[in-house]
Amino acid sequence: MSTERMERCCGGEVPLLLKGGRIFDGERFLDGVTDVLLEDGRVRALGKDLPSPEGAKELQLAGLLVCPGFIDLHGHFRDPGQTWCEDLVSGSLAAAAGGYAVAVAMPNTLPPLDNDALVRDVIERGRRAGGARILPAGCVSKERKGEEMAELAAMADAGAVFFTDDGAPVLRARLLRNALLYTKDLGVRVLEHPEEKDLTKSAQVTEGRCSALSGMRGFPISAEVLGVLRALVLARETNCAVHLTHVSTAAALEAIRAAKADGVEVTCDVTPHHLVLSEEDVLRSNLHAAFKVNPPLRSTADRDALWRGIADGTVDAIATDHAPWHEDEKDLPFQEANFGIASYECAVGAVLDYRRNAEPEVPLERLLALWTSRPGALLPRSAAFPGRLAEGLPAHVTVVDPESAFRVDPALWRSKARITPYKGRHFTGRPVLTVVAGKIVFSALEGGAVRV
Amino acid sequence: MTWQEKARVQTAQEMDRSLRRMAHEIVERNKGLDGVVLVGIQRRGVPLAERIAKLLEKFEGMLPPQGKLDITLYRDDLSLRYPQPLLRGTDVPFDLSGRKVVLVDDVLYTGRTVRAALDALMDLGRPASVQLAVLVDRGHRELPIHADYVGKNLPTSHAEVVEVRVAEIDGADEIWICEKVEEQA
Amino acid sequence: MSWMHRHLLDVDALSRPEMELLLDQAVHMEDLLDRPIKKVPALRGKLVVNLFFEPSTRTRVSFELAEKFLGADVVNWAASGSSTSKGETLRDTAWTLEAMGADAVVVRHGMPGVPWYLREKLRKASVFNAGDGAHAHPTQALLDVYTVWKHCNRSLDGLRVAIVGDVLHSRVVRSDVQAFRLLGAEVVLAGPRTLMPLETDALGAVYEPDPVKAVEGADAVYLLRIQKERALEGLYPTDDEYHRRWGADEELMARAKKGAFVMHPGPINRGVEIASAVADGPNSLILDQVRSGVAVRMALLYLCMGGMEA
Repeated sequence: MSTERMERCCGGEVPLLLKGGRIFDGERFLDGVTDVLLEDGRVRALGKDLPSPEGAKELQLAGLLVCPGFIDLHGHFRDPGQTWCEDLVSGSLAAAAGGYAVAVAMPNTLPPLDNDALVRDVIERGRRAGGARILPAGCVSKERKGEEMAELAAMADAGAVFFTDDGAPVLRARLLRNALLYTKDLGVRVLEHPEEKDLTKSAQVTEGRCSALSGMRGFPISAEVLGVLRALVLARETNCAVHLTHVSTAAALEAIRAAKADGVEVTCDVTPHHLVLSEEDVLRSNLHAAFKVNPPLRSTADRDALWRGIADGTVDAIATDHAPWHEDEKDLPFQEANFGIASYECAVGAVLDYRRNAEPEVPLERLLALWTSRPGALLPRSAAFPGRLAEGLPAHVTVVDPESAFRVDPALWRSKARITPYKGRHFTGRPVLTVVAGKIVFSALEGGAVRV
Repeated sequence: MTWQEKARVQTAQEMDRSLRRMAHEIVERNKGLDGVVLVGIQRRGVPLAERIAKLLEKFEGMLPPQGKLDITLYRDDLSLRYPQPLLRGTDVPFDLSGRKVVLVDDVLYTGRTVRAALDALMDLGRPASVQLAVLVDRGHRELPIHADYVGKNLPTSHAEVVEVRVAEIDGADEIWICEKVEEQA
Repeated sequence: MSWMHRHLLDVDALSRPEMELLLDQAVHMEDLLDRPIKKVPALRGKLVVNLFFEPSTRTRVSFELAEKFLGADVVNWAASGSSTSKGETLRDTAWTLEAMGADAVVVRHGMPGVPWYLREKLRKASVFNAGDGAHAHPTQALLDVYTVWKHCNRSLDGLRVAIVGDVLHSRVVRSDVQAFRLLGAEVVLAGPRTLMPLETDALGAVYEPDPVKAVEGADAVYLLRIQKERALEGLYPTDDEYHRRWGADEELMARAKKGAFVMHPGPINRGVEIASAVADGPNSLILDQVRSGVAVRMALLYLCMGGMEA
């Protein structure tokens, strides 16, 4: 059944009974529970052999994983200002097709999201888009210039869920410190892009084998580590929480691990591409710009360290950093192309596939938590995306088929992006149903069976 | 495509007699060996030229200069072939100007190889004349080329190929006719 | 064995037998350079475009001679280095070349990866990398190994080559290390640490901080050009100091094997990376490299630009 048809009969008004699946509540699989009933936008019941209420739509999900709706903490929607690359509608539909119920929109738009009016605008237009919910992050600094603090309280009231100057670190240490203190009581965290920019001028690829062999300037590991250390020291001193995004190196992760052990309120996320790809992929592709991203694809040792970080709990979330560009900005020689990897519609599959082939030691529950309850804990309560499945909670659900194989073909994407490093690759495992507030926003099911 | 041996048309002894006769004819036509040089066309024209030169030395008491000519770069079918045929090297260590060049090749067929050899020669110098000596003339000329000295005339069909084997390269002296064999599906 | 490559983008693409085949064919091409008439009709009717985004007289002229001696039609296209400045994007340039009927494109660009980018966009034409950023310069490496190979009885097994200079910014060294190693030679790198990548072993060569030790026992010493900009970037203090410590003068060369070859991709900075006495000395292969360059490029163009598959 197509997404459109499902919407007509399952537009949130009709109860939805998901039967026969393996239920993941955000932290663990529930034994003896196979059914979830969604009604009036809430989880009405969890149980076994639940009766189907009058007029309910039933979906048979035997063999599939029924999870809380996935949460993406970091995506670029290019709207307002660069809508030839992506906009709230295409991005929202793309995220939904990627299994995400909600995505956080980064504020490096044109103009940047540095005031409450723009925040409200994104929330409203995002809601109407009909796919994943979009929750904006607001800039830490006015115009994202890194100098003066933006009106953070007003943006928090308007519904901003993070404050960040991403694609860049907060420029001035003093501003970062003040922002940490100022936001402590607003319930909205600072999300920091860790990078010491003075070390990364003209950098293109990771320092290491890739810079040595390609002859291009490298991003030193120290640039990320120094960015992380700055945030950790300030977080510790101010006794405030900070979230570090797209951590890509073993050294930075180690610093975060030590700080956590020491009681510092720090959280972090890693991207799917840093979990699945490495500098070797850049070299093997003959320096194809699809593999150009900041932070760059790192060594295989760094990639392995990120998986260790998932296994031992240091990593709190997997966030896509979906960065769509038009061909005019990406179909260029490496050094000329923009940084960024577009991946909404295959990111979850790529990670599931990698774990399946290379990291069977990482328990599936640990991985699924990184898309659900753990990022859910980092969003403000008012956002109403706790990343959990329990009676009374909002009806956001993502269903994953761990055995379904697919080929990545960006020509079929709902995203406007067509260039991705995953093009042509085959992955096993993918989301097949996304539900937001009881309404189906994406389905790859055909009357219960998975449509290829 | 594979080739299968069909018939042997000359033995080593017969080949030797042909070369001797050709050497005598060269002397007769040129009224001696004054100014005569031999240029063998790579690949098998080279050892044949050497043999003819030695025979000439036996008959006339002087060894004419010999050269090797690689015509690969002058072929008219290079843009139709892939991969490119490999070079074997040209070595003509004497001045061609004013000389009577005797080009030597194993088989004369369409004449295109000789056409290429003439172009290659002309880029090396300006001979007084060029004559052609071939061990086998198998007919089917596509260009107005004719041999001055022929070891054996051998009528053939397009489905056949004439293989001249020389001891220096193939281990034995023989001339065979081979035919195309269809590959089994 | 036969040559099946239609492009040459990187030394990495070649196997050892393939490289030896190319060098063997280059010998025959070099013979042509001695004749009064150097032109042969092998590439008659083929259009070769020299697409140089970075100015280069030396490499371009070498390619141009190779192309003309093989009888090809040659067009020199000097383009701007960036598509963000006025002018066509690289993608549009590629399609224009195709529309013009180019059979081959020889490309030099300041950004790594461009030759591969062009090969992806061009359906018919052969692509030859004449240098992409600091990444690769395969034809330079081929002519370098060819020059030494000729003088060493066609074998480089066990040879020790010292490459001295600005390794960090050099595409020549990246390709040369690959080529020398492929033929069985061992390479040692020398130069100031500020001009070395942190991961020299990724390149396949060992770094020796003491230039004297690096040169000791070397069969060939290869000097890389020092560009003036590097001093301005603060990577080394003065040309004088560079020359005193890393410059190939007679004193340093005395530490190499007797009769060790001296090589340089050109153009040379006399008194900086190399002393005049050494550059002009009896063991210098620098001019031979230039001649080799034409021969090797002729062999390469000839082998790659065959017709369509039968």
